[in-house]
Amino acid sequence: MSVALAVAVGGLFAVGTFLLLRRDLVRVVFGLAVVSQATFVYLIAMGGVAEGARELVPVLDTHGGGVPEIADPVVQALVLTAIVISFGTTALALVLSYRAYEENETIDVTEWVR
Amino acid sequence: MSRLVIAPLLVVLGTAVLTLALGRRPQLQRATSVAGVVGYVAAVSVAVWTFVLAPAAPGAATYQVGDWPAPFGITLVLDGLSAFMLTIAAAVGLASMLFAVRYVTPENQRVYYHPLFHLLLVGVTGAFLTGDLFNLFVWFEVMLIVSYVFVAFYGTDYATAASFRYLVLNLFGSALMLVAVGGLYATTGTLNMADMARRLANPAAYGVDPAPVVGLSALLLAVFALKAGLVPFQFWVPAAYTAAPPPITAMFAGVTKKVGMYAVVRLYFTVFAGVPVSVDLAGSLGASPLAFLAPVLAAMGIASILVGGFGAVGQDRLEGVFAYSSVGQVGFIALPIAVAAAADPTGSLRGVAIAAALVFALHHALVKGLLFLSSAAVQDATGTDSLRDLGGVAGHSPVLSGAVFVALLSLIGLPPLTGFFGKFLAFDTAVRGLAVDLGVLSTLALVALLLGAVLTILYATRVWVDGFWGPETPAVETSTVDQGQVAVLVALAAAVVLVGVGFDPVYRFAETAASAAIDTEAYVDVVGLDGGGGA
Repeated sequence: MSVALAVAVGGLFAVGTFLLLRRDLVRVVFGLAVVSQATFVYLIAMGGVAEGARELVPVLDTHGGGVPEIADPVVQALVLTAIVISFGTTALALVLSYRAYEENETIDVTEWVR
Repeated sequence: MSRLVIAPLLVVLGTAVLTLALGRRPQLQRATSVAGVVGYVAAVSVAVWTFVLAPAAPGAATYQVGDWPAPFGITLVLDGLSAFMLTIAAAVGLASMLFAVRYVTPENQRVYYHPLFHLLLVGVTGAFLTGDLFNLFVWFEVMLIVSYVFVAFYGTDYATAASFRYLVLNLFGSALMLVAVGGLYATTGTLNMADMARRLANPAAYGVDPAPVVGLSALLLAVFALKAGLVPFQFWVPAAYTAAPPPITAMFAGVTKKVGMYAVVRLYFTVFAGVPVSVDLAGSLGASPLAFLAPVLAAMGIASILVGGFGAVGQDRLEGVFAYSSVGQVGFIALPIAVAAAADPTGSLRGVAIAAALVFALHHALVKGLLFLSSAAVQDATGTDSLRDLGGVAGHSPVLSGAVFVALLSLIGLPPLTGFFGKFLAFDTAVRGLAVDLGVLSTLALVALLLGAVLTILYATRVWVDGFWGPETPAVETSTVDQGQVAVLVALAAAVVLVGVGFDPVYRFAETAASAAIDTEAYVDVVGLDGGGGA
């Protein structure tokens, strides 16, 4: 399971980085979105995704025995927060790339005058 | 536990909502916005006085958001270090807002200027107060998403391009920060900084493997250096600073940059300082991640001083000179922190060095705020801030020029202005740092400081001689300076002089802040980790 997750995170980071380095503005925004997704998968993985043993869940393992054995809720809360933030910033990035296109009349960043 | 800790945050958040609702009533919106900043200054002053500066003050206080006990809820911590940074934010925020009311055109003020300004303060205040690592990420995002909009505020081709580059860099930085936060959570099983410090100081007792912390802290350092604009992450600074409205540039240089440096100090010295893990990097041997921080931050600081200094000399617009100068001056803050990291944990040098960095941060916030606002006033009056088209401003508007003169002298480091103490303490720590194990870097640091000081004299003189002395150019002859703007500049210049003349209490405040930054045990105690039976 952890190998599959590692491959997924690595693959997403690779694709995201590749897109980030494009000249096309919209691809750059897509690259940002993919990199964000990679970190979300990574965050979930950090909570321990192997089948339900207490030792694998940091918050259960370290905070006493009086808690029921559940999946780590902390990383899920983190990912939810991060998704909301990423949604906002991606929307802003798309708007900005449209404005930058209007002002610079091209979405190829190498052709920007300044 | 005190509600007063969260008061500054609530004031600016409330004002942001109010000013957003008052968008159709421009005058009322403006009045509310100014009142909000004044309320923020009052809230910060009362909180800082009550918890840190008053004779019988406890030194620190916490507020557990939603009454969830630490480490499960979000803890807001107001200790000496946070108090010092909040004071800087309040001072620069007030000056920036009062100037903006007179400077930004009424039409532009209606375009969300006021709500955004207060949200910027919300992000900054939250970042200084929070005691939770993930919450720090959230406040960074609040601060940054407002910054993107401000950089693109004027909507020109230059501004949109600058904003887009700034956004891409910082979003990638945020992804890296999430990776570091996730990794630290998996390593330590907590996000609360005090809890993390406690676990990492005694890893065997809590079953924590401290080795990954060095690498994860390095990721965090990269992100914070990006926010602070340290070389090699400085390339967004000049474009973003010149594109944003000048009162906001004063905030960027004075406050948001300092958030990056604050985060370095808070996490490395309060949280990671006690991690027992041996590091061997470029001759810097040590038993904590600080041994990693010292050479890396020293190299970044040296490079920043040189890049910023040489860049500033080559600029021909006032804003450009000051933007590059900001890159250099952050190096002056980073070097003492690097010396502090290399210093013996039990000796006095560590506290002295962090105090030096904090004093320089205060000096830079006041002076660079004053300079960016002055260049805006000059540009507003003459229609240009190019050194080629300026000249003779000193004869034409002596009061404005007097304020600039004070700022430039302080930037150079003449006593009794703030810059003298900033530079003096930076040199003092660097010389003392020769004794500690920074290897060849301590000599290099001293050379870089000297060279940086000379370059500062060079570009400050050039600004003064080219822009303010000499015969009046046509652009200057026909200009009229706004008296309201000048009043703000004079008040800031007076602050620069006063902080320099009455330096003793300021230094004691900085010392309090520095000792709060390195006293991990006190930090853990005040947060009071009694959630989950204290396990």
